[in-house]
Amino acid sequence: MRKTLIRPRSRRSLLKGLGVAGVAISILPRRGVAAEEKKLNVYNWDTYIGETTLDTFTEKTGIEVQYDLFANNEELFAKLKAGNPGYDIIVPTDYTLADMISVGMVQPLDHSKIPNLKNIDPDPVFTDPSFNPGLKYGVPYMWGTVGLGYRPSKTGEIDSLAAIFDSDKFSGRIALLDDQRSVLGYALKFLGYSLNSTNPDEITQARDLLIKQKKHIKTLAGDNGQDLLLAGEVDITMEYNGDIVQIQAEDEDIAYVVPKEGGIVWFDNMAIASGAPHPENAHAFINHVYDAEVNAELTNTIQYATPNAAGRALINPDDLNNPAIYPPADVIAKSESFSPLGDGLRLYDEAWTAFKAA
Amino acid sequence: MQDWRKNKLVFAIFMAPASFWLILFFTIPLAIVWVYSFGGRGPEGQTLIGFSFDNDRRALEWIHLGIIWKSVVIATITTTACLVLGFPLALAIAFAPPRLKNVLLLLVILPFWTNLLIRTYSWIAVLREKGFLNFGLEWFWNQADLVLTFVGLPDLLGDFQPLRLLYNLPAVVIALIHVHLPFMVLPLYATLEKLDKSYLEASLDLGASQWRTLFSVTVPLAMPGIASGVLLTFILSLGSFLAPDLLGGTEGLMIGNLIAHQFGPSRDWAFGSALSFLIMYTTFAVLWIRSVVAQRSEGGVGI
Amino acid sequence: MKAGTLTRGGRAIGVTPRVNLRRRVLPLDYARRRSLQALLVGIFAFLYFPIVALVAFSFNDSKRNVTWQGFTFDYYIKAFNNSSLHEAFINSMIIAGTATLVSTVLGAMLGLGLYRFRFPARGLVDGWISLPIVIPEVCMGVAMLAFFAAVNIPLGLFTITVSHIAFIAPFVAVVIRARMAGFDESLEEASRDLGADQWQTFWNVTFPFMIPGLVAGALLAFTLSLDDFVITFFTSGPGSTTFPIKIYSMVRFSVTPEVNAASTVLIVLTLTLTVIAMIIQGRSGKQMVEK
Repeated sequence: MRKTLIRPRSRRSLLKGLGVAGVAISILPRRGVAAEEKKLNVYNWDTYIGETTLDTFTEKTGIEVQYDLFANNEELFAKLKAGNPGYDIIVPTDYTLADMISVGMVQPLDHSKIPNLKNIDPDPVFTDPSFNPGLKYGVPYMWGTVGLGYRPSKTGEIDSLAAIFDSDKFSGRIALLDDQRSVLGYALKFLGYSLNSTNPDEITQARDLLIKQKKHIKTLAGDNGQDLLLAGEVDITMEYNGDIVQIQAEDEDIAYVVPKEGGIVWFDNMAIASGAPHPENAHAFINHVYDAEVNAELTNTIQYATPNAAGRALINPDDLNNPAIYPPADVIAKSESFSPLGDGLRLYDEAWTAFKAA
Repeated sequence: MQDWRKNKLVFAIFMAPASFWLILFFTIPLAIVWVYSFGGRGPEGQTLIGFSFDNDRRALEWIHLGIIWKSVVIATITTTACLVLGFPLALAIAFAPPRLKNVLLLLVILPFWTNLLIRTYSWIAVLREKGFLNFGLEWFWNQADLVLTFVGLPDLLGDFQPLRLLYNLPAVVIALIHVHLPFMVLPLYATLEKLDKSYLEASLDLGASQWRTLFSVTVPLAMPGIASGVLLTFILSLGSFLAPDLLGGTEGLMIGNLIAHQFGPSRDWAFGSALSFLIMYTTFAVLWIRSVVAQRSEGGVGI
Repeated sequence: MKAGTLTRGGRAIGVTPRVNLRRRVLPLDYARRRSLQALLVGIFAFLYFPIVALVAFSFNDSKRNVTWQGFTFDYYIKAFNNSSLHEAFINSMIIAGTATLVSTVLGAMLGLGLYRFRFPARGLVDGWISLPIVIPEVCMGVAMLAFFAAVNIPLGLFTITVSHIAFIAPFVAVVIRARMAGFDESLEEASRDLGADQWQTFWNVTFPFMIPGLVAGALLAFTLSLDDFVITFFTSGPGSTTFPIKIYSMVRFSVTPEVNAASTVLIVLTLTLTVIAMIIQGRSGKQMVEK
């Protein structure tokens, strides 16, 4: 018999904890029985909020926001794995949200407390995503793509994954994202398979393709692929669209493309963690972010694509017309999002280790 | 060395507080992870408790042993370089005039009060193709070219080709040496500082050269410090993952990265724990044997 | 702590007859030898090369650390006005200060105990206390997270500090033991023969000898705690973002000059605090000597 270790942490059982817990009790936020205290703990990515979003929320509701940061989905998942340490709002990406729903890390939303949800783009991509049917456990925050950023003056026009996976033309001038699912996913896509394949044969083929191409790849960039492109260290980099949009403002000679084989589309979502100390305030916060004007300010600041139709009508037209932020519909139609792989993730792990160790 | 029974109270005062702390806040937590290492990964990345040696078996697969071996090689090179650079540094600090001593000590530690991540990123700025180092080299190259043109040998050198210093193992080793130098210098300093200088004077007075004195007197007397420094540096560089990640390009996979990967993207805490314990069993065995041997021979120096 | 007190332990004891002789013997004045000086300059250049690059880019008038665009102070102003950086800095200082103090004391006692006493399973204990050094950081981080979750201690500054002390104390113990190895125990005997009790002997003979080891150990402890990301990440909760955690999430989007400015401010502030502490301690040290 195997038993999962994940369990929501009950605050009350704190008192029953070991003797040491006594030291800690004094630093616990005290919980009123009736009304929720005017506090909210938001756990989000850095530079992923408007300049005034938190201030206007506090002005409107009197709720103080404690804003903390994580750097990637894995950190977020790991942090909540042993029990919620006290966060209310969290912002997981699609496949992570799906896993969190499966293991009960997030709680269902009460849509009646989020009237501004009427502002959402009615496209079922946003209102009924496969990773979160009916938006039961979260609402979309921002969305975007993973594609290729490049320098047209050096590489010419690029539209295919062949540039990075089947060519020595740009040998030593390529950076890939240091993320196993993105790189193996794109290799699978190039071979004509799904991003989410769990077929061992297909993954082996993708692995062999990468190993064969390894000598032409300069580096796997974690967070700085766009900087390498801007600095002229590489001419092509696999990156998140938002990162490339940021450097386009500084260098005219930078382009971004979602490859014609189909790309990776991602959706970040606001969700309320299980065991959140302030669920009422969390609903109020989600409602606040879905306000058209608040959302427009937020979107203009961070320059990602918003799923909020009312907010989108108010944003900077340059951003709205930038295909790197809002890709054409036919590109989106060919693209896929990551879905949870379950036990299949092990195949990706092994392929990735083999690629890196090769 | 004293037998503990002769002075039980003092023994308890020295040993109890830290032991208590380490049992409560280290050994018990460690036991939890040890239990994990026999478990498995659930489909969503839960940690399942169970009892099997699957993870240990997997940890011993060839590909993982290869990664461990590579890490050991990198850590050995790093440690050797740190010792070679750190020893003269520690010697100079230990023998410096008192006032200068603190300043030097501070100078050694100061770079390490900047964030490790930012320091590692700075190495990118230094080593990349358009980085400071290549920039400096290009300047010298052009000067040399100018001089050669002047003496009637134009185009001998040709255009400067920037060196590829980044995204390979040497870049990783350079950064690791940089990061781990204080772990070598501080224990060395603590040992060398107390060195009885009369031994060195005697050696010199008896006609031994400075080098001979260094290797036959100073180094043997500094052995406890060398041992501590070498162990700290080796163990810490063995487990590093930031420098290989950022500077190693496609070559940068050390055991630390593999373990971090298990606790991150793989969400396989069980396998990550098994890998961690594999490293720990090995190191623990070495340390224990070493300590027993040291105790048998004389007094005992420990790690 | 002034150098005078720092080296007192090693020198004040039974060295007096040699003082004249030592002044004459210049060969041992390694810090003044040209060849060694050149080597030192080289090592320091190596140590400071990336730091100079880091500081230089903090004045770069560009959104990122890629090309030099001109000189500006803007990013310092930005960093000074960034209240989440203040919070992170204060958190880091509280944690590093407390962790250094406690781990130095605990580590020193442990190191001394292991140096001094013979007891059953000493080798085993020896290996045991070195485990926090050996264990991969991320594994320890996960262990701490699981532990605090199991006993229901809410994550925050308290849990971070406790974990830091647990992994740092062994480092201090290692340094102290290296220092104590070869300590001349006859000095303690002499002290006891002269009628001092155990307590007096410890404070007047053993402790002064330990001081350089304590300084080295405390420096190591402070550095380790201030810069720790992995264990801190796993043991932090709402409102306990530390400087490295803030930096890691900032860098997620790009290494901006603001990150460099913040790091430069950190190094300058830490340096200032250290120098002030040294001066204060130096003074009190002198008073003690005068007494």
